Amino acid sequence: MHPNETTLNDYVDQSLGSAERSSVEQHLAACAECRQLVEDLRDVIRATRELEPREAPVRAWPRLERAIRLEQERADREPGPRGVVSGPARAGHYRAYATWLAAAAGLVLATMVGLRYMPARHVDAPPAATSTAAAPITANDAAQSIESELRQAESHYEKAIKGLEVIANSEQNELDPRTAATLQKNLAVIDQAISESRAAVRAQPASEPAQQSLIEGFKTKIGLLQDTVALINEMRKGNEAGAARIASGLKQKGT
Amino acid sequence: MTVELVARIQAGDVEAFETLYRQHSAKIYTLASRMAGSAEDGEDLLQEIFLQAYRKLGSFKGDSALGTWLYRLALNHCLDFVRSRQAKMNKLTETLDAETSFEPTARRETPIARLDLERAVERLPEGCREAFVLHDVEGFDHKEVANLLGIAEGTSKSQVFKARLKLRGLLGKR
Repeated sequence: MHPNETTLNDYVDQSLGSAERSSVEQHLAACAECRQLVEDLRDVIRATRELEPREAPVRAWPRLERAIRLEQERADREPGPRGVVSGPARAGHYRAYATWLAAAAGLVLATMVGLRYMPARHVDAPPAATSTAAAPITANDAAQSIESELRQAESHYEKAIKGLEVIANSEQNELDPRTAATLQKNLAVIDQAISESRAAVRAQPASEPAQQSLIEGFKTKIGLLQDTVALINEMRKGNEAGAARIASGLKQKGT
Repeated sequence: MTVELVARIQAGDVEAFETLYRQHSAKIYTLASRMAGSAEDGEDLLQEIFLQAYRKLGSFKGDSALGTWLYRLALNHCLDFVRSRQAKMNKLTETLDAETSFEPTARRETPIARLDLERAVERLPEGCREAFVLHDVEGFDHKEVANLLGIAEGTSKSQVFKARLKLRGLLGKR
């Protein structure tokens, strides 16, 4: 008889007492199947321990920086406990520009966060909230609710995209022509994917793959626009290395 | 050094905050993306965690190292995220129950490649992935994992085992 899963798990974790351990070892000596399993589990554990830290995407800091500057702007406007700081931001054009970027970043972040938590919020809604309607929820109601949430999400994404497009388009002369062309090409590919997904959702509103595909399309477009804005920002700051890193990532998107 | 850095951040010095970010972002992003099971969610979590750190830095008293404080904040944030979508994912965990077995998988003769393992961890179902990441990657013991996830210690062991079996299957079928 094979040892149970808890025993084998404890065995590979070396947390069995000596009596149990020798009993497992006796079994392993006679059972090739369990021996193989133990060997494979050890391989998995060993490989897991050797995993290296992942580097955060290059665009993550510019996004965060913009969001922080937005916090600072807010704290400047509304002094009080909300912001940690009320120190001066950089003066002049960069300050106004940073505000734009921060606003766009904040909008995107809020959209992402809102959408990411949306399904869970839907599931976690307290029963009282639904029972107040005093009517059973039908499949049709649920489908309409999903459709309405998707429309809301779509609208949020579109707003975020518009905000980013305003910045990216107005500052696009900062980009070299080849990068700008690559950007336009990639945006066209993503727009086509969004358009196809949107048609699929319209045809089958309850189709989860179609919904996910549409959301993925929006996210990809936002990611590309964020990278573009981050690139413009790095070029304005004169950070050639940072700009080169982002530009290289930009060229790989949408392909 | 830490005190000075914190003071500068509290005074509104964004470059000081960037220093903090550069020092800890890889560790936090690694935790977040593995707990969430996707690079995209990991990136969003990274943003939220550092924004929260920025807002809460005033409450940092220096009782622990800044890195420890930040890690704890990140871990709590990741756990909140995981809990918020846990109900939705219960169905997937049930699927995993049906999928995992002692059946031997196709043999894998080559060592496990890091990228394959990263991808396989991302594909682990909700529930067992968090327990696996906390135990096998982050190094918490089962009692700590149970406390963090609000589950029984036995459940933590069982989830970690399921995750390992699932990984074995995912990696062995290459």
